Amino acid sequence: MSQLVRKQIPLVICSVLGILMILSYFTPFEVFAQFKGIATNWVVIISAVTVAMGLVYMTNAQIKMYQRNRTPLQLAYVLTTYFFFFAFLISGLAYPGDINSREYQWWFQNIYGNVGATVYAVMFFTLASSAYRTFVVSSIEAVALLLGGMLYTLRQIPLFQVYISWIVPLGEWVLLVPNTAGGRGAVVAAALAALVVGIRTLWGKEVTLEVAS
Amino acid sequence: MSEKPTTFWEKIGKIDYRWLYALSLIFTIIPIIQPLGLPIQVSEGTIGYFNAIDKLKPGSVVAVSFGASLALLDEQEAQYLATWKMLFQRELKVIFYCTYADSPLIIQKHLGSVVKPENYGKKYGVDYVVLPYAPLGEAGEASFAQNIRGVYPNDIYGTPLDQIPMMKNINDQSAIDLVIFMYTSCTDVEWPIRQWVVPYKKPVIVATLGCCGPMAVPYYPTQIQGFLSGSGMGTEIEIVSKNPGPGAMMSDAKNLGILPFILFFILGNISYLGRRFVTKEVKK
Repeated sequence: MSQLVRKQIPLVICSVLGILMILSYFTPFEVFAQFKGIATNWVVIISAVTVAMGLVYMTNAQIKMYQRNRTPLQLAYVLTTYFFFFAFLISGLAYPGDINSREYQWWFQNIYGNVGATVYAVMFFTLASSAYRTFVVSSIEAVALLLGGMLYTLRQIPLFQVYISWIVPLGEWVLLVPNTAGGRGAVVAAALAALVVGIRTLWGKEVTLEVAS
Repeated sequence: MSEKPTTFWEKIGKIDYRWLYALSLIFTIIPIIQPLGLPIQVSEGTIGYFNAIDKLKPGSVVAVSFGASLALLDEQEAQYLATWKMLFQRELKVIFYCTYADSPLIIQKHLGSVVKPENYGKKYGVDYVVLPYAPLGEAGEASFAQNIRGVYPNDIYGTPLDQIPMMKNINDQSAIDLVIFMYTSCTDVEWPIRQWVVPYKKPVIVATLGCCGPMAVPYYPTQIQGFLSGSGMGTEIEIVSKNPGPGAMMSDAKNLGILPFILFFILGNISYLGRRFVTKEVKK
């Protein structure tokens, strides 16, 4: 593709839209406000389209994985993925009420919900064992992280609230004072950085845009 | 294969993880079988959250941006149920709009069989309305604030908003008195601040996961009026609002479930410090 298609046209689109959005925010003109409404609606529509795109990418990834590893086990993985995809699709479309049907609700509550909850629950064990191995007081930063994390966690547990009552005001203080101070600093720094990246992007000077093109 | 530990310090740093797993399971199950029922202290963020709803005048309109995940429901369900009950106990108009794919089914289950608005004398379309899933993101929040019908022309049952009595004079942010933003991705807390608070000065309260609380706090109490994070604060809002729910059991389970974690955590650090300062196996 030519430089014009790869870089110049996306840059012009990006810059024009960006400037119009800035104008809608900082000027009182109705025309820019209307444009903002249309543009943000487009974002919702584009987001919806990307869901369908996900299916295309998933199929592509499944095919490639099977091509790399042509074993019965890999085939089972591929078939399992599509079995559940079609099971949800069919149960969501074939019964009266669509996704409100009893059949879809059954799949959703008993398969999807439980699998999701199990995955997150298993993370407790992973986190606990990795904390045991690696969360050691090897530096002053690690000590600060450890103290802050423990105070925030223990402050929320009734057992500690009752038997170590001073942990409540201390945990609250850690959350509302040092955490807030550090957090606000980080937010301001991130906002300034985002501003710089935004201006550079609109100007066509952002490095990532150069690399992508 | 890892080498067999030789010193005491090494041994306590290399205990089989399965002991940790087994102890955690046992200690979590005990309070579920035999509840401890310990008192809970309510934190400042929860009080702010409660007050933001409680001080609304009768007839106020509340927009609930509902981004709930079924996989993470255990962490947040207490927050949701207590909030729904609080909203229905008051003379408020509530718009639930779903911003995550799981949310419509969760809200329908909650309002269909758990909370039941009709028990509070509330009628669908008159006192509350549920809007379907739309992949809003931050831009969608902005779009919703500017023109509700532009994002949601119909409600979750396919009825055009123009045919719903409650939505008659509700077109955009100007009719909204409070935004309750419920989310599961920590940085999303900035969305309502950028799209509701800064341009329209709307009061916002948020409800999120326990791990996301520290990222919401820097915005309290200036940008957000209150916040709930995790099942702990879910239990707190149940207590403050006098609406008991699943949070009490969750807090009870956490009481003892955390103990093996802390024990292993301490052992891991003793092992590290012993190997560093006693046997000098580890250098700084």
